[in-house]
Amino acid sequence: MTAVTSPNASTGYADGVRERFFTPRRFVTPLVVVIVLGVLLFWLSSIQLDSIEKRTLNIDYIVNRTREHLGLTIVASALVAILAIPTGIALSRTKSRVVRALVLGIANIGQATPAIGVIILLAIIWQTGYSTALVALVVYSFLPVLRNTLIGIQQVDENVRESARGMGMTPNQVLRRVELPLAVPVILAGLRTSLVFCVGVATVATFINAGGLGDMIVNGLKLQRYPVLITGAVLVACIALLIDWVASLAEDRLRPRGT
Amino acid sequence: MTQFDFGRLLHFWETRGPDIVGLVVEHISVVAVSLLIAMIIGVGVGMLVWDRPLPRSTVIAAAGVALTIPSLAMLALLIPTFGLGWTPTIIALVMYSLLPIVRNTVVGLREVAPAVMESATGMGMNKFTVLFRVQLPIAWPIILTGVRVAAQLTIGVAAIAAYVAGPGLGTFIFRGLSSLGSVNALNFALTGTLGVVLLALIVDALFVAITRYSTSKGLRA
Repeated sequence: MTAVTSPNASTGYADGVRERFFTPRRFVTPLVVVIVLGVLLFWLSSIQLDSIEKRTLNIDYIVNRTREHLGLTIVASALVAILAIPTGIALSRTKSRVVRALVLGIANIGQATPAIGVIILLAIIWQTGYSTALVALVVYSFLPVLRNTLIGIQQVDENVRESARGMGMTPNQVLRRVELPLAVPVILAGLRTSLVFCVGVATVATFINAGGLGDMIVNGLKLQRYPVLITGAVLVACIALLIDWVASLAEDRLRPRGT
Repeated sequence: MTQFDFGRLLHFWETRGPDIVGLVVEHISVVAVSLLIAMIIGVGVGMLVWDRPLPRSTVIAAAGVALTIPSLAMLALLIPTFGLGWTPTIIALVMYSLLPIVRNTVVGLREVAPAVMESATGMGMNKFTVLFRVQLPIAWPIILTGVRVAAQLTIGVAAIAAYVAGPGLGTFIFRGLSSLGSVNALNFALTGTLGVVLLALIVDALFVAITRYSTSKGLRA
């Protein structure tokens, strides 16, 4: 798992060189999304919708589902950031190798666990609905972010740490002023992965009655109304791409100056 | 609300043994077939674009887009054209596998030391032979790492494919959901989920062995 750390660093220009922030390349993703949505709208307006399709393919319904979807994604990601990053920092302070190996081991097993399994198991042993989906999302994205925080702090060069101490910094200052800034890119990469991931899992949340755009996909499939199915799927895909894009902007903006 | 009962779970495994084995075999098959297709496409494309900057970044960006699309949405988009079952599942799994494989192929081929390539050229090899007989063997462990990442990814995604009548252990997970409230709901979902986790861990370990034995003898540490 060494060569590919963040599967979503889609453009792959992270060569450490700070490029101009707004290059034309920046706008490829939103442009593609706008074109795809335009084509979708054109296609929908050109076909005759029946009464079942009209019930879902209207602005109110779509806006509500999108709001549910984004709500679930953003709340879950925010919770993960609040919970996992401090835990990761705390764990990086321990000298015990066993604890760290244990955490990384559990994180690896967690990554092998299918999200759909986690969400459905939780629904069976607890309840169906929004809060279950939220808990499943948080549990599921917690480990990757924790892992990236831990790795991000660990990968700081030992010599850099030593020079910081040599300059008279206390361990706390080393953490706040040296280690954390240097770990920011790795931590953000973890958060970005978890955000995109949450969009995907929030789609699956429809199975346990937690709403979101997955509703449209499942309804379209069950009622054999492909326009509904495709609209739902395209919207989810566009949201995922846009969120990944916004996260990539944040990643570049928040990267420490000088690296 | 379902109470967990270990005895009942063991009994469940006993009676459903053959079903479980069947689903595991299906799961492995669909992942293996997809990885094989993805490897042929991914390594092929990687070999075509590794030394051309524009096609290279375009291909990697496109594969990145495919990976960003949530799995249920991807499957849904494939259904109108390809129907339900194995076909959309395999296509979706191949799309997800492409990014790690293409990216690692490109990285691996580019990482070969220029001195090594120059010596190969000096020995009278042309560009084509250098690629196949020098670069590819040296890049092989990195390419396999990409395949390994793809394997982990697809084993998980294949579980969701059961919703569109795809094969594999996801079938049990969804049966657990549809029998919510019944005695065996938890057993179904738990068996499916644990099966996927175990499969992922075993395949991961298997890849370590495959990488070791399929790497050129001169390169093994």
